[in-house]
Amino acid sequence: MPRLLALILLLQAFLIGAVEAKQAHLELVVTRPYLEMHTGPGRGFPVFYVVGRGEIVTVLYSRTDWYRVRAARGEEGWVRRDDLAATTLESGDPAPIPPYPDFSAHRWELGAAYGVYNRENLVSGYLDFGLTDSLDVELALQQAFGTIDTRDIATLGLRNTIVPEWKWISPTAGIGFGYQSITDNAPPAPLEAHNQLAYASLGARGFITRRFMWRFDWRAYYVFNQLNKSEVLEEWKFGLAVFF
Amino acid sequence: MEIRLSSVLLAALLLSGCGWFHRGDKGPAPIPSDEPQQEPTIIEPQVTRRVVKTPKIKSKDFELGAYFGALSVEDFGTNPLYGVRGAYHVTEDIFLEGFLARSKAGLSSLETTFPDITVVSESGRRFTYYDLDVGYNVLPGEIFLGRGHAFNSQLYVTAGMGDVKFADKDQFALNFGVGERLLITHWLAAHLDVRDHVFESDLFGATKNVHNIEATLGLTVFY
Repeated sequence: MPRLLALILLLQAFLIGAVEAKQAHLELVVTRPYLEMHTGPGRGFPVFYVVGRGEIVTVLYSRTDWYRVRAARGEEGWVRRDDLAATTLESGDPAPIPPYPDFSAHRWELGAAYGVYNRENLVSGYLDFGLTDSLDVELALQQAFGTIDTRDIATLGLRNTIVPEWKWISPTAGIGFGYQSITDNAPPAPLEAHNQLAYASLGARGFITRRFMWRFDWRAYYVFNQLNKSEVLEEWKFGLAVFF
Repeated sequence: MEIRLSSVLLAALLLSGCGWFHRGDKGPAPIPSDEPQQEPTIIEPQVTRRVVKTPKIKSKDFELGAYFGALSVEDFGTNPLYGVRGAYHVTEDIFLEGFLARSKAGLSSLETTFPDITVVSESGRRFTYYDLDVGYNVLPGEIFLGRGHAFNSQLYVTAGMGDVKFADKDQFALNFGVGERLLITHWLAAHLDVRDHVFESDLFGATKNVHNIEATLGLTVFY
């Protein structure tokens, strides 16, 4: 019985903790003469409420460059990132508004690209994780649409950004391996339904704005097939990515 | 000799007995010397610094949902379509969106006129697609419902590429669309979309670009 009681108490404590953790929101003090609240998260939405100097606002969440805040009287609205950054914590320290991710040292990257693989249209999606500023691991899922077959390609590779400090354009080089599955659209059926691949790549990347970047990649694939002929395929693609 | 030895033993016994009586006494207290014997040690205060945790601001830039509508497959009639969509809002203007949907094409006019002819097999009538799009909020604004209600809305345009699987064949398709996002609450949005999927088809002999236009209604939630 006491054990049960202890368990109940523990659970209750945990639940209260969970609820409290869920309700914990950042509270900031307005230090400029006023803080404008807009009706929507966009530059054109009208200002409908103004929070005065010294008043406290509760930050609920963010969407792109806008923050949804609640004033002391209960009004909820959207505040521009730059305006909210001018507020302070109750201790007087500056508001902990996270900075934009640093382009040269970002960790994650998610992108999509259009390209040509073996003279066929290619759609590519990729996820990239930065081990260091210059060395990345890249996972790409691609689909190439040919007249006689469709190829689903998955590749995993390492990529080196040769001069990561160069922001607007920086050359890259990489190697990796992969797997392709071939589905025939029209007879005759392909002799092999799937192959392993290895590739070497050259490319470039560059910063566009905020968390946007572009990437160009040229790859030479070596296809390991059971046929009596080694196959070398070429691919290029251009894509847009978001980094975190 | 024997007596001398026994008297020594007796004296020792007596002495030890005297010691017994003084057993509770303490020795002379050490005289405190004015000179410190060692360098004075600095007392480190045992204070644990209270860590003030400032709560992190959650970002809700993702939008996930489902949609339903009608898809007109060129030459194959108009049929119901349903799918799922997910978007990531990068700035207040630009978002990236992915779509995944399926529908089923009907009979072409050729097949209706000549029932013996089969252009596409039964399994090939299944029309599925995925799209990767970039979207731009062109006309943000507010929509009013009577005097008391205002809803945020955005008219957006999207363009992208993807795969259309139709007639048992995957095809590279481009898509162009226009849509309206109406925020029912600050986390729930209703969508009205019209999009065109364009791809090359040679089902009726000559290769041509076919346009497959969809009109859909959707519901999404911001995360």
